[in-house]
Amino acid sequence: MRMVIGILFTLLLMLSCNRGDSLVSENVSNPEISFFAPTDFPKLNTAVQGNKPTKYGVELGEKLFHEKRFSGNNTISCASCHNPSLAFSDGKMQATGIYDRVGLRNTPPLQNLAFMKFYNWDGNILELEKQPLVPIITHEEMNSSILEVISKISNDDDYKDLFKKAFGDGEITPVRIYKSLVQYEYTLVSANSKYDKVKRNEGEKFTETEERGYTLFKLKCASCHATELFTDQSFRNIGFPLNKNMEEAGRARVTGVSSDYMAFRVPSLRNAEYTAPYGSFGQFPTLKSVLDYFDKGVLDAANLDPLLKENGNRIAMSEAEKKDIVAFIKTLSDPSFVGK
Amino acid sequence: MKTNTIKLMMISLVMISCSKSEDVANSVNLHFNNTFKNTTIVLGGAESPAATTNTSANGQVHQFSELKYVISNIRLIKADGTEVPYHVNDLDKGATVINQAKLSSLDYTLADIPVGEYKQLKFGFGVKQELNTLDQFRFPIFYETAGANDTEMMWQWATGYRFAKLEGFYESNHQKFTIHTGSTLNGKSGQPDTYVQGVDAYRDITLDLNSRLVVGGNHPEITIKADFDKLFSGNNKIIIDGKYATAPQQHAGMEVMVTYVNNLGGDGKEDRVGMFAIEKVKN
Repeated sequence: MRMVIGILFTLLLMLSCNRGDSLVSENVSNPEISFFAPTDFPKLNTAVQGNKPTKYGVELGEKLFHEKRFSGNNTISCASCHNPSLAFSDGKMQATGIYDRVGLRNTPPLQNLAFMKFYNWDGNILELEKQPLVPIITHEEMNSSILEVISKISNDDDYKDLFKKAFGDGEITPVRIYKSLVQYEYTLVSANSKYDKVKRNEGEKFTETEERGYTLFKLKCASCHATELFTDQSFRNIGFPLNKNMEEAGRARVTGVSSDYMAFRVPSLRNAEYTAPYGSFGQFPTLKSVLDYFDKGVLDAANLDPLLKENGNRIAMSEAEKKDIVAFIKTLSDPSFVGK
Repeated sequence: MKTNTIKLMMISLVMISCSKSEDVANSVNLHFNNTFKNTTIVLGGAESPAATTNTSANGQVHQFSELKYVISNIRLIKADGTEVPYHVNDLDKGATVINQAKLSSLDYTLADIPVGEYKQLKFGFGVKQELNTLDQFRFPIFYETAGANDTEMMWQWATGYRFAKLEGFYESNHQKFTIHTGSTLNGKSGQPDTYVQGVDAYRDITLDLNSRLVVGGNHPEITIKADFDKLFSGNNKIIIDGKYATAPQQHAGMEVMVTYVNNLGGDGKEDRVGMFAIEKVKN
């Protein structure tokens, strides 16, 4: 059996050699790059296997990420809303795109995406490669089209060069744009917070308040903000103030199931310190205000999350406890990720 | 000299095309008649006296200000059962937006249909999942048509097309209703077993022709009636209220939308007709 595989492998190699030596050498000069994949993170999304980051794929993707010609009037790039210094969020309640048009929801931070099963607050995207088209064509975001984008950048020599290095020839196609952007995004791994350093025994220690906060967190928050991503990636209606926009139905817009009405993906708490405001349309200006809301009691709903229902529609916390929990959440901040 | 040559060329061209069409194929026109029962719909604003009104099974008067839907995946079935697909995997050549506000959009001409007798028409109400990706690169013409400002048949967030966009007013105080349909399926293109977490709003319609369609020397026409009385009074009798006046939006999610899809396009199982019927076949 091994022998057969060996022969097959040799044949394959020969075949690829026959196809053109340039292809092989191209691959050698554009090596796959390994990105930091912490061992205790959830397993990679299967789409990563089909779009492994390469040296020039990532370089191209990063350049495209900052490309304002993606928008109809050349003013908005991906980075306009996904600002690297705010953990790739924008500090606004709802995303603001071309001509200051306001979108439906809060801009999600981009981090540890390679380990996620669902993207966006309603999880409508399962493979990240299918996401980049959405902002390009959305009226409130970039208001352009993929062919318009290609026509704008196709005479740019820097792009011709990068597409050639990344994909073997200079042709600019929609799929190559999506893939390279996503390769770059896959490399956005945040796992160098104080919390990580404490966990890895790298010499750092929680303060007393952080330690207390961690204990409380495990008791009151970790059933949803679970795993090392601090989200179990489930969708829950937690009775937050409702977005009055008629387009909003939470995950029910995707699944068509009424039990998903106004349910949203549990957000990761990594870098939460940098990603205010909070909630699907930025209802809460601070972490403290989120905790206050949970403490006071959430809106009731037929499909309110059972964990909240069992607790009388609230998560009771004293003021001191809130302070400790916020202190712990701030240990999830990764200054190196936001360039500090 | 030059003119003569051109004339000759033209004549031979005409001869070529004539012989081709007579022996091999001809066009078939599909005409869409959008009605309330048997009355062709006239669109209009809330106060428009011209707008056609209809009364639902639950006694609610309503009218349309906007009426659009996508037809694709068209197939003609020959008398012997052979299926003749019409660019079923090419939205540029085989799909169209029917828009009651645009007279020209109500006729869709199928070119080069093989000569013969036909007994059945099949088409998709909406866009089948494997093509429903807003792929401007593959289908720039349909993308342009559907995305035009006066058409707006796209759901950017779901990277799919709107399949129907129906807006209008109900009851005497002219409350607005907006009913949009479309699919939100995910999965690998063309692999239905991988489709997950979404709603399939595409419906395959099968209509028996009430008399044989003969493709040959003439340009035959099939008139398809789309009876929008079925929107609120089809398989599901709907009371238009806060919940049902907007689909698939707030307080509704997709369940309400599916109710409408099943009324318009059938449930895809027993009912493969929905609101559609053959009005006449003209050979």
